[in-house]
Amino acid sequence: MTPRNSQNAAAVITRCFLLAAGLVFAGVPLSVHAEAQANAAEDDPWESFNRGMFWFNDQIDGYVLEPVARGWDFAMPKDVQTWIDNFFDNVHAPIDTVNSLLQGKPRDAGVAFGRFLFNSTVGFAGFFDPAASELGLDEVREDFGQTLAVWGLGSGPYLVLPILGPSSPRDTAGLAGDAAMTAYTWFIPWSATYSSRGVDVVNTRSRLLQQIEDSKKSSFDYYVFVRNAYLQYRRNLIQDKKAGESGFYDDLYDVVPGN
Amino acid sequence: MMISMTSFRATSALLFAAAFCLVAASVGADEASAPARLVVESTSEQVLAVLRDKGVSVDRRLEELQQIAYRRFDFPTIGRLVLARGWNQLTPDQQRAFLEDFKRHLSLDYGRRIDSYTNQTVTIIGDRTEPNGDATVRTQVNGGGTSPVAVDYRLRRIDGDWRVIDIIVEGVSLVSSYRSQFQEIMASGGPTRLLQVLREKNEQAATTARAG
Repeated sequence: MTPRNSQNAAAVITRCFLLAAGLVFAGVPLSVHAEAQANAAEDDPWESFNRGMFWFNDQIDGYVLEPVARGWDFAMPKDVQTWIDNFFDNVHAPIDTVNSLLQGKPRDAGVAFGRFLFNSTVGFAGFFDPAASELGLDEVREDFGQTLAVWGLGSGPYLVLPILGPSSPRDTAGLAGDAAMTAYTWFIPWSATYSSRGVDVVNTRSRLLQQIEDSKKSSFDYYVFVRNAYLQYRRNLIQDKKAGESGFYDDLYDVVPGN
Repeated sequence: MMISMTSFRATSALLFAAAFCLVAASVGADEASAPARLVVESTSEQVLAVLRDKGVSVDRRLEELQQIAYRRFDFPTIGRLVLARGWNQLTPDQQRAFLEDFKRHLSLDYGRRIDSYTNQTVTIIGDRTEPNGDATVRTQVNGGGTSPVAVDYRLRRIDGDWRVIDIIVEGVSLVSSYRSQFQEIMASGGPTRLLQVLREKNEQAATTARAG
């Protein structure tokens, strides 16, 4: 559900597809006025397609991914799950670094790369995160979708991708960019890339079992709930949590006068 | 009271986020929002005390948490912000019913997560004054084997008291989340449908809570 998940999931299908999708969607006319759209961000012109795709993904999740994740969760101690999670976060660190640089944030790039060096060595190939626990350097989360946003590219409409889930034309192009940046996959067999991403996806899903179940239960319209959460979450990441301006309703905190 | 015994078993979870906490260090204080920060700090401490008091029965602790939540969260404001322009489409009776049922929904929903408390700690990392006079208090929840989670509280001065009107987890605002969902329901079925859906949801949740 989170972009990082979609990123993980990205690898489940082929890089070819990703690149192709990126090219196709990059061709969709994007609005350059990202902020002007703010209040209309929940306009969902592709809603009927999106709802169909959302349903399809949910079927796959229900019949394949979630059962596998339950088994995984049962078999793997929580600590091991955390180590695996750390490992894949660390693998992503070079991409965080490059994207920080592309966004003109050398300090974040330094933190991301410093974390990568420290955790890859002191943190036993990234299974531990001593950079956070000992040095207080928290994870930097940057991806090419955010970079494109910082460069001024509008997101385009909300888009649910097959298997990859919630996205937008901009974030889809971002996935392709990140895939191209994942240098290590150029040097290992594709089968190894797939199986490692498979582990990543299943492990991540297993850590979200309770949360996703709760969200499904408590939401009034799960599709709308996920769409809103995705849009808010991405916006927050792009603004680097500084703005704290949540949501995309300009009038979010205005009490409407009347009765 | 529409609030039944069942919802007594639940807590407001809103509180919960505040709850997972050991309030620690302070950074970057702001003059005007400092009192709001104190509210979040003391509320967190109260909640923590209840959560850690394992000698007391779960039901009793849930009840105590709920009382704290009802004191600190401004449900009428939260409810109105969630409905936004839709608020005026409700008759005064419907408005009352909505606020009551929405409060109950939040209590049930978050209350059943009390079991998930696993010694997380909360650090207040800053506060600021918003352009409209509200205050935002930023916290970070650590522990639980995940990266730190950013939880911000938005407070408003109501009747001389700082009260929480929104919780924002990793940039995702609770008010915004409910607003989009309720708008969808209002658009298709109006206030009647909204109240009906809300009531059904509460009945479901209450049943699950009893079964669980």
